[in-house]
Amino acid sequence: MEEKKPSTADILAKIRAQKAAAAGGSPATAPEAAAVPVAEPAPPVAAALVETAPVKPAAPAAKPGSTADILAAIRAKKGGAAAPAPATPAAAATVAASAPVAAAAAGPAKPLPSIAEMVRAAKPGAAAPVAAVKPPVVAPPMPARPLPPSAKKGAPAPARRSLAGLVTVAGVSLVSFVLGGVFASPVLIAIGALIWCVLLSPFAMAWAALSVVTGIATLGTARFMFPNVLVEPPSKFKIGPPSDYPLNAVSNKWKDQFGVWIVHTDQYEGKDLIYALSTVCTHLGCTPSWLDGEQKFKCPCHGSGFYITGVNFEGPAPRPLERVGLRVAEDGMLEVNKSMKFQEEMGQWVDATSFVDGSLA
Amino acid sequence: MLEHHPDLTASVIYGLGWLYLLLFLMNTLWVWRSYHHDGEVKMFGQGVPVASFWALYAAMLGMVATAHLTGSDNPQMFLLRMPDAFKSAVDSVSGPVSFFSLSVGLFVAVILLREWIVKPTVGWILLNASLIFLALSMTDYDFRQIVGKPDNVPIVAMLFICAFFTWLSFACAVENDQRKAAGKPLYSQEKNEKILVWPDLVYSELICMVLVTALLVAWGIVLQAPLEEPASSAKTPNPSKAPWYFLGLQEMLVYYDPWMAGVVLPSMILVGLMAIPYIDFNKLGNGYYTFNERKFAISTFLFGFLPLWVAMIVLGTFLRGPNWNFFGPYEFWDVHKLELLNNVNVSEWFWYKVMNTKMPVAPAGSDPGTQAGYILLREWLGLLLTFAYLAVLPPLMAVTIFRKFFVKMGFIRFMVLSNLILFMASLPIKMVLRWSFNLKYIVAIPEWFFNI
Ligand code: FES
Repeated sequence: MEEKKPSTADILAKIRAQKAAAAGGSPATAPEAAAVPVAEPAPPVAAALVETAPVKPAAPAAKPGSTADILAAIRAKKGGAAAPAPATPAAAATVAASAPVAAAAAGPAKPLPSIAEMVRAAKPGAAAPVAAVKPPVVAPPMPARPLPPSAKKGAPAPARRSLAGLVTVAGVSLVSFVLGGVFASPVLIAIGALIWCVLLSPFAMAWAALSVVTGIATLGTARFMFPNVLVEPPSKFKIGPPSDYPLNAVSNKWKDQFGVWIVHTDQYEGKDLIYALSTVCTHLGCTPSWLDGEQKFKCPCHGSGFYITGVNFEGPAPRPLERVGLRVAEDGMLEVNKSMKFQEEMGQWVDATSFVDGSLA
Repeated sequence: MLEHHPDLTASVIYGLGWLYLLLFLMNTLWVWRSYHHDGEVKMFGQGVPVASFWALYAAMLGMVATAHLTGSDNPQMFLLRMPDAFKSAVDSVSGPVSFFSLSVGLFVAVILLREWIVKPTVGWILLNASLIFLALSMTDYDFRQIVGKPDNVPIVAMLFICAFFTWLSFACAVENDQRKAAGKPLYSQEKNEKILVWPDLVYSELICMVLVTALLVAWGIVLQAPLEEPASSAKTPNPSKAPWYFLGLQEMLVYYDPWMAGVVLPSMILVGLMAIPYIDFNKLGNGYYTFNERKFAISTFLFGFLPLWVAMIVLGTFLRGPNWNFFGPYEFWDVHKLELLNNVNVSEWFWYKVMNTKMPVAPAGSDPGTQAGYILLREWLGLLLTFAYLAVLPPLMAVTIFRKFFVKMGFIRFMVLSNLILFMASLPIKMVLRWSFNLKYIVAIPEWFFNI
């Protein structure tokens, strides 16, 4: 471990040197020479580099290899060196092969074109119809930025299609939009959209597609708000006569089905009452359990505790459990109405529909 | 009969045997390392290589492992277990308060003793100690029930991984700090650690990917996912636990209103983490490990991460039982454990205890404006405290402890920083207040769903 590892720069330098040697002389001996500096997986890389090397013309010893060199070469070519530096023929060849556009652009000292300029320059070739609509945008300010040969020859700039034809197409698409709207036919709208898109540039098409897809997704999400079936127990139900609920007891009978406890106690302000408590913890909505031994509702999620009266006394729950409506129906049975809620902290527990007189039991 | 022994079964003993065997192998390798790296100590007038102590220790582990793997099948006779006195002592002192103090204490100790902890030998001893503690604790039935649960296995792994990476980063940081102090170049500059992306890095990543995938597949096959009964809105499992990575949040919910702990504080955490690059004005420590050059940033971040997040996950996973009560690590999870907590709000304390009167309540049927006035009157003390905390403290900090920061950062950045810190601090503050004064809410306005 103490021996100094070769740095990346060293490795690269070695590879380059070998590559140069291989290109100049005997490619056959190169691979094993190349395998020396890099550890295990090196040979394929070195080999690959060597393989490509002979394709290029034999380079002098100072052949540029690094990315920085290549970039420098490109910049030099662009920056006015109309005649490429004789020292770097290989680099020039590589650059010319991989980036013909850039090579062809070599002209008198001109700044590099910005991306916006390139896009603008590419546009008349790619989307001729637009150019036809807007004659002013014919000659971009870009200097000597040649088009791909095919485009250059195929499209005599600016391609003048008849304005009338364009208007017709736009009109057709508009009509199909309107008709689609009137007859609520998505097919017609889609056709209209398609025609409209063809008229526009790829950018507009992409944006249009994006907004259509997003719109559909949003609508789909909104659709979730209206489920086909709502499985909810009825909010009003009978729970038997008051005599089913003895004093100071909590009935778990309706907890699973309807989510209420029926409590009969005289501990709330000393009055003998029967009331129905909702089984939703006022902290975060878990279902507490009634612990008979400790005479409290205890929530398993964060440990909130409520007295038999429903009033919170421990843990994080900020307010008492909620009561739901309870009344004695005409047939003498108790009837719970879950559509009503009574919150103690709002002073709603005095409401006569929130409890039933316990002496009925 | 044998397998039904609730305390210690033969299979547990064999399992522990494998663990000790692993420890034995690890330490055998360590003996080899120690022989080459650690020197000798003078003893009995002659030099004794340090490695010999490790060899002794490894031999002992080897014997323990053999005894576990081949020894008596009668668990009753099994001697090597956690002493009961220790267990009951731990259970009796453990509680949320002691747990939190311990985790904060550990955090401070790691930072203060970092130069000592990052020595390889010390790190190795700590690792051994924690593994042996785990192995001994596994002999306890209740501990095993919780820690050995299939869904808690990743959390145990996470603890070790977390500890290892903290250790590693401190080791790199201390090394660099010492180099800087000695005027030497940084570790990464001197020992050229650069490698080629292709093939070196890509290959190692590929190998890691394959290994981790294989590990996950094996894990998924060996440890079955614990499925529970179908969900029912009427029945909440007891205890009901969030996914393990959210247990810190669930613990936060014990102290705060859901609106605070579930919405405000988590968003503050996210926004705060995103804001760090904009708040940070310290240009040092860019691209290399260091502690001394970024003391404030690293300690603050680690405080938020280790005691406030990881330790809370541990608390929520291992120490919170039925009804979200606290249970010691060796304690039976009794559903009927009675723990009476009568929490009070600041307003209740003020009006009942201090003023000895009733709380002001708006007369029945009064208009909303009057009611609001009464509510504000009722909660004035809590509102004032909160206001002071968020509005008065930052300027105070600017002229006292954070003076240099304020000068360097400018007004807005300092305000953002101080508020983020105050929000982070609000969690431990509220926890301490709950434990020491049974405080429920500082501002309690359930009428408006506004509780702090
Ligand atoms: S949901 Fe009941 S205590 Fe949090």
